[in-house]
Amino acid sequence: MSIPASPTAAPPEDPPELCAGEGPGDKASKLRQWPENLAMGLKFAFSGGREGWIRVLLTGVGVGLGVALLLLTAAIPNAMQAREDREYARMDFAIGDAEPAKPGNTVLVAHVDTEFRDREVRGRQLEPEGLRAPLPPGIDKFPAPGEMFVSPALKRLLESKDAGLLRERIPYRITGSIGESGLIGSAELAYYTGGQSLAEFVDDSAISRIDTFQATKGPSQETDPVLLLLVLLVFVVLLMPVGIFIATGVRFGGERRDRRLAALRLVGADSRMTRRIAAGEALGGAFLGLAFGIGFFLIGRQIAGSVELFGISVFPSYLDPAPVLALLITVAVPAAAVAVTLLALRGVVIEPLGVVRTAKPARRRLWWRLLLPLGGLGLLTPMIGQGNGNGTFNEYMVAGGVTLLLVGVTALLPWVVENVVARLNSGPVSWQLAVRRLQLSSGTAARLVNGIAVAVAGAIALQMLFSGVQDDFTEPTAQDVSRARVEVSLPAPVSLADAQRKLAGTPGVRRAVAVSTTVIGMSRKNPESSVGLTVGDCAALRELAKLLSCREGDAFTLHGSWPDGETVKLAEPGRKLFVNPTFEGSGKGTEAAWTVPQDIKKAVPYKDPTGWERNGFLMTTKALPTSVASDISGIIYAGLDPSVPEALEMVRNTVAEIHPLAIPTMHAPNERSQNYDTIRTGLFVGAACVLALIGASLLVSQLEQLRERRKLLSALVAIGTRRRTLGLSVLWQTAIPVALGLALALVVGLTLGGVLQKMTDTAIRVDWTSVLAMTAIGAAAVLAVTALSIPPLLRLMRPDGLRTE
Amino acid sequence: MTPAGSLLVAHDLRKAYGPTNALDGAGFSIHPGEVVAVMGPSGSGKSTLLHCLAGIATPDSGSITYGGREMAAMNESQRSALRRSEFGFVFQFGQLVPELTCIENVALPLRLNGVRRKEAEGTALAWMERLEVDLLAGKRPGEVSGGEGQRVAVARSLVTSPRVLFADEPTGALDSLNGERVMELLTDAARSTNAAVVLVTHETRVAAYSDREIHVRDGKSQTMERVI
Repeated sequence: MSIPASPTAAPPEDPPELCAGEGPGDKASKLRQWPENLAMGLKFAFSGGREGWIRVLLTGVGVGLGVALLLLTAAIPNAMQAREDREYARMDFAIGDAEPAKPGNTVLVAHVDTEFRDREVRGRQLEPEGLRAPLPPGIDKFPAPGEMFVSPALKRLLESKDAGLLRERIPYRITGSIGESGLIGSAELAYYTGGQSLAEFVDDSAISRIDTFQATKGPSQETDPVLLLLVLLVFVVLLMPVGIFIATGVRFGGERRDRRLAALRLVGADSRMTRRIAAGEALGGAFLGLAFGIGFFLIGRQIAGSVELFGISVFPSYLDPAPVLALLITVAVPAAAVAVTLLALRGVVIEPLGVVRTAKPARRRLWWRLLLPLGGLGLLTPMIGQGNGNGTFNEYMVAGGVTLLLVGVTALLPWVVENVVARLNSGPVSWQLAVRRLQLSSGTAARLVNGIAVAVAGAIALQMLFSGVQDDFTEPTAQDVSRARVEVSLPAPVSLADAQRKLAGTPGVRRAVAVSTTVIGMSRKNPESSVGLTVGDCAALRELAKLLSCREGDAFTLHGSWPDGETVKLAEPGRKLFVNPTFEGSGKGTEAAWTVPQDIKKAVPYKDPTGWERNGFLMTTKALPTSVASDISGIIYAGLDPSVPEALEMVRNTVAEIHPLAIPTMHAPNERSQNYDTIRTGLFVGAACVLALIGASLLVSQLEQLRERRKLLSALVAIGTRRRTLGLSVLWQTAIPVALGLALALVVGLTLGGVLQKMTDTAIRVDWTSVLAMTAIGAAAVLAVTALSIPPLLRLMRPDGLRTE
Repeated sequence: MTPAGSLLVAHDLRKAYGPTNALDGAGFSIHPGEVVAVMGPSGSGKSTLLHCLAGIATPDSGSITYGGREMAAMNESQRSALRRSEFGFVFQFGQLVPELTCIENVALPLRLNGVRRKEAEGTALAWMERLEVDLLAGKRPGEVSGGEGQRVAVARSLVTSPRVLFADEPTGALDSLNGERVMELLTDAARSTNAAVVLVTHETRVAAYSDREIHVRDGKSQTMERVI
């Protein structure tokens, strides 16, 4: 049978290439469809009434939080640079071999820094010499003696109720404030006060005469490769969860979107068009997220100006992201949003009659998921044993290896969750509801937990590395804090006896041992041969050496365990020596002559409270030539009673009262590399921000999920389900994947930590306290999120959810 | 005045959602084994009346007594317990838990009442057989048709042998054939257990399965005795 040709039904006589659908018109039309589809998607992102707005707002907030943290990270190098620039701009001592300034249009600067309850207070006494004396940045005139200009943070502290001890220590009248240009951070405690007669102390190391406050930077020191490794890891570990978080954020509302796309298929959209529309919708969320992110960043920038984390504060103006990084974020986030959406749609078939997901999704495959961590280990293994002076690390391989290992967590976790929950059996109703939901769709849960798992795995590895290399960056000081907690260096004219008496009378001071120290040499000026001379009463000298007998007027030579030819040479009885000789470039000495007595006694030195075994001579006070007595500087070692609260602060007050230029130094059994401490501090600051962000992301995701199930929750309550049952089911639903995530994080973290320790050539050592702490922090984040999602859950369970009008 | 022998009685119910008066002096009563259809146009207050009668929503004023007990005197957990043990529910949408299999869905009210899993699923299967959906026991709601899903929901509503069954537009999402089958099975099962059925619908075809109709309009109710 043949169908008669009809003029209306006849196919157009298109040229062959157009029939194939490859004609220029088709291409142009397809090209035009792209922006049209994307625009339609963008429109969908912002339409859909209240529900639609809530969804896009959640996405915006989620992505925005991630963008804000990325921008903040991109601003950190600038902030650090700004702090350093400000520090150099106000530098008030010459660096290197610069010639000391000659008096005239100069300023004398005395360093009167102090500490108050572990917070550093930068203090300077300024005494201008000449009308055009340079002013430090941040102030426009010199404070008069008895007056001070303070930083806003110090002003607030001094005005607070519990800063009485600090007010006693710096009792000057506040007559001005230090501007931003004179401070390195918004929370910095700093003051300038007027100085008097500082010139007489100008040889003291705490006083400088300068003609400018600007210092040029010296060549930057090369960072230890292990420290560089730590910096790299901190960045990788902290930024990865942020990326994961953004990827999770753009998938909010995915189920509803899929249904909408099915409706579009019904009216004729093909699968490629739906993907483009979905991409447009994701772009909408990502753009809103970018806008929110910039907003959050600007708000956070202002807030950052009023907080201090681990002793570091910044001004909002410091937090300027590097333009290239900011541009990268602006481009990468929308691109990532589209990529994630399209990837997510791969597992979904959107058909005109609905979204098709097989009841049992295809089982996840393990082999490619294992390739990632194995690849990471493969990159790291060649660098084993290269640390600790054995060479440097290839930073790209380190970053790549660690990233692959951590990405491995995100790839393995869905497989682990799927396989474990498939084996979980029935229990109470709350458990059953949670397990069944996880069995049906464990991907969402795994995605939510990925961020925490990566952060915890990374943090465990880093903690292990930190504790492994800690010994390399921690040096014992040999200081004996049981004998002296504080060492006070007094400027020369201060009476040592008076100072000792005042310190001994300070509450909380158990003992105060006072000695004076200077040099004794063979000639008045620039002696070729000179040794140390320590002066004190017999009790004080017994702290430093074993004295068989001691009376006022005695002198001793010290013969220690190490060869000391100088002392032996100088200690020849009858030899004329000069106490406090003059050394070129160090001011004039007193140069008092002293003859080694015939009966000079020998003594064996002990380690003093600083751990130093002295050489040279010991003299009782009466043995010292009187002309020198007032001209040599004294040291007091003060032992404190740890049970007396604020003993340290009271000692600092007494020291400030004795003389503003007297410097108290705290003794500690160990001294750590400042770089090491800075990096560790960075990890803590970053980890705190990332955990807060992940907590927020979990909460937002949880709320999004609950909102999508509002009707079901109301129906369950209607049939009599206890609210506790539903609350518990929410907890299980989060807790099961989190427990699995933490277990996986533990395995990967310990493995990575072990490899990193081997890389730095340190013995594998697990700091279980840190491991438990990190795991507990991860678990606490989940509990907090669950607790916070209970009130909205209760609200969503109201019968309103059953209403359709 | 309470009609003699009534199981569930409501007087002068008032309930407002914002400026909208959903119920404005509505009344209701039902006897054991009776099927009462609550009819009315969309937005007339039918569902709100059902929610108040079932203790899901609390009226702003008026009284509801169930078996002689004042509902207002019960706290939320007591009302929940009542719904779990004495009431059954069938809704139009969103009632089956998509993650649970059909038999687990049917067994859910029993499990919420503390019945052990095996026993609960045994009872559930018996009800599923009765509603002709026993072959769907291991399937999830997403894998069954709308009519089958609704029959599973009816099985779930009856599994605790409730004294009152609340059905809110139970056939609203079904075609007429499936709708009728569901209604037949629902009313037969309810009558066999002497359960009262509060049937909210706007379809006269569905209301035809009831013994009595109450019409709700603008939040006010009016009883219409059926003349057969």
